[in-house]
Amino acid sequence: MKKSFLITGAAVVATGISSAFAADIKVGSAGGITGPIPDLVAPMMAARDLAAKHINEQGGLLDGDNYMLVKGDSKCDAKGAVDTGQKLVNVEQVVAIIGPNCSGATIGMAESVTIPAGVVILSESATAPSITDLEDKGLVFRNAPSDAYQGAALADMVMESGYNKVAVTYANDDYNKGIAEVFEAAFKSGGGMITASAEHEPEKASYTSEISTLSRSGAEALMVFAYYGSSGTTIIRNSLENGLFDMFFGADGMRNEEIITDIGADNLRGKIMVSAPSSDTESSSYKMFAEEFSAAGEDPSAVYTPGSYDAAFLMALAIEKAGGTDRGAIAEALMEVANAPGEAIMPGQWEKAKAAIAAGRDINYQGASGSIEFDANGDVAGTYSLSVIDNNGKWVEK
Amino acid sequence: MDSLYGIFLYAIYLLTMGGIYAVLVMGLNIQWGFTGLFNAGIAGFFAVGAYTSAIISTASSGRHLGGLSLPLWASLPGAMIASALIAWAVAWICIRLRSDYLAIATLGIAEILRLVLKNEDWATNGARGISRIPKPFEDLPEPWNQIAMLLLVLAILLVLYLLLERARRAPWGRVMTAIRENEAAARAAGKNVEGFRIEAFVLGGALMGLGGALMAHHVKFIDPNMAEPLSTTFIVWVMLIIGGSGNNKGALFGAFLVWTLWSTSEIVTTRLPAEWELKSAYLRFFLVGLALQIILQRYPAGILKEHRPIGK
Repeated sequence: MKKSFLITGAAVVATGISSAFAADIKVGSAGGITGPIPDLVAPMMAARDLAAKHINEQGGLLDGDNYMLVKGDSKCDAKGAVDTGQKLVNVEQVVAIIGPNCSGATIGMAESVTIPAGVVILSESATAPSITDLEDKGLVFRNAPSDAYQGAALADMVMESGYNKVAVTYANDDYNKGIAEVFEAAFKSGGGMITASAEHEPEKASYTSEISTLSRSGAEALMVFAYYGSSGTTIIRNSLENGLFDMFFGADGMRNEEIITDIGADNLRGKIMVSAPSSDTESSSYKMFAEEFSAAGEDPSAVYTPGSYDAAFLMALAIEKAGGTDRGAIAEALMEVANAPGEAIMPGQWEKAKAAIAAGRDINYQGASGSIEFDANGDVAGTYSLSVIDNNGKWVEK
Repeated sequence: MDSLYGIFLYAIYLLTMGGIYAVLVMGLNIQWGFTGLFNAGIAGFFAVGAYTSAIISTASSGRHLGGLSLPLWASLPGAMIASALIAWAVAWICIRLRSDYLAIATLGIAEILRLVLKNEDWATNGARGISRIPKPFEDLPEPWNQIAMLLLVLAILLVLYLLLERARRAPWGRVMTAIRENEAAARAAGKNVEGFRIEAFVLGGALMGLGGALMAHHVKFIDPNMAEPLSTTFIVWVMLIIGGSGNNKGALFGAFLVWTLWSTSEIVTTRLPAEWELKSAYLRFFLVGLALQIILQRYPAGILKEHRPIGK
């Protein structure tokens, strides 16, 4: 602490050369780099890195310190998350952690490593409702809404689209099953009818027999709760090939370009709608992010990437607000910088945020993924929209 | 936080995890090292043990079986008994199979166990797993809670090591070696080969259950992803083969060595240039495979070779 005091003094005297004293401030960037969803995680990691790049280009943290993201592979598995969490917290001595991605990994890392160590974590994609109930001492945050929100929102949107009788199939994993359960309850209570519901194991070569059973139930559409890569694409292909269903709805695990390249945009157009956390693509926050992320050669419509950028940006704001690298102070500051009231800060506006914090003004980050207001459990409420395939063979929000 | 203190905490964690893997490796050593039973379903017995201890020790949650809130002295033996019972049922059906057929059968059984645990929601909360598993000594202040957990694991290992060394040198161990080396001769000598093979399989299964239970308490969470073959079955095999199959010291050594390589390699790979960062995670798999190749070239029987006890 003494050292940072000296650096502060030097920076005040000669602001121009403060970067000469720059140190690294390490924040963990944990995610399922290997494991079942590596191709969803890679762009998320890139979006976090983009935020770090923006921050470092615009003056860095505190006194020109380098905002350094240290990657850790949580493998989408609690054992792997605990292992990488131990290294990030104890060996790399990170001040906070962004991630991990999967819910089981997040629970394992939080309960076994970061809560006891007093390190705050912020996941952009852990959506299991059970994370809300963790006894986390205010140290577990997520800027992805709990599945409880998405299932209910999707039920409303399906009915608004004019479908009242649907069949449901879901992959047997924590994420898809959670959404499916909430969807079914909400759809029924909204007056809709679930004609049949069946879970399926991912990674099978064919789902024709499962879907033909569902298709005989008289449903108007099939709800596919699955990851596109492990079963979603196959289910839709099997259904179309055999003429079993010609209308599909899904959740954000299905929103990937690969599904379009695999089956063909012409075969899918008008037949599939998927929900995803609405990043309100008209908002200037999202546009800023999308422009920069596209310029970096990445796809801004890749699922959760706006949230990844926001998570990395928010953590930097919390460090700036805390005024140092004390882990407890950062955890406390995180909620202040995200929530209203305060001066609105948008993606990429690091200099403006830094000046506002230096002047002692309250700030309110308006992220690419939404306005991000944490509740007492460290959760955010979700807004969702349906995406369809446009004439260029890309996903667009309806 | 002081960085030396952090490294100290990581070292404790590393040894604790290494110790838990060592329990699994000792279990496999009884089956493969002593008796020559090719069990490719370690993950299944691991999962049964982990889930059993989770159900015995957690408070009531309404999402899964439980509510017993029993302490460690009930959950660890409970896990061993449950895994032993499953192992006995498996052994009873397929212990007569020759080594490679047994491997295929056990691989299938592990997958069945994993899918059952994943689908029986009422008992296991399905894919969402069981959280809030109590961790022994977690109420002690840091770092004593972690040191106490490590000491517990090491004490269990010491007891297991002494018992298994005793068993290996005893006539029981020599019969196992005889069955492994020449089953027909053992049979001709009047030994009940099937009976001994079942004993070895059940005992090994019980230790794998114990390893699973310790892992569940250590991570405080268990879900079906934790029983994936790559991070449970195959790494345990690599540990035993590198350490020295048939040698209890080799089993211990292999577990700590491979786990340390596996875990610490990430500290190195995260320091690679940015364009390598995402690939580096996969590089670790490659490095562990490479280490296996090199060690087996240099030490075909594992680093610590088996020493046969010499009869008097």
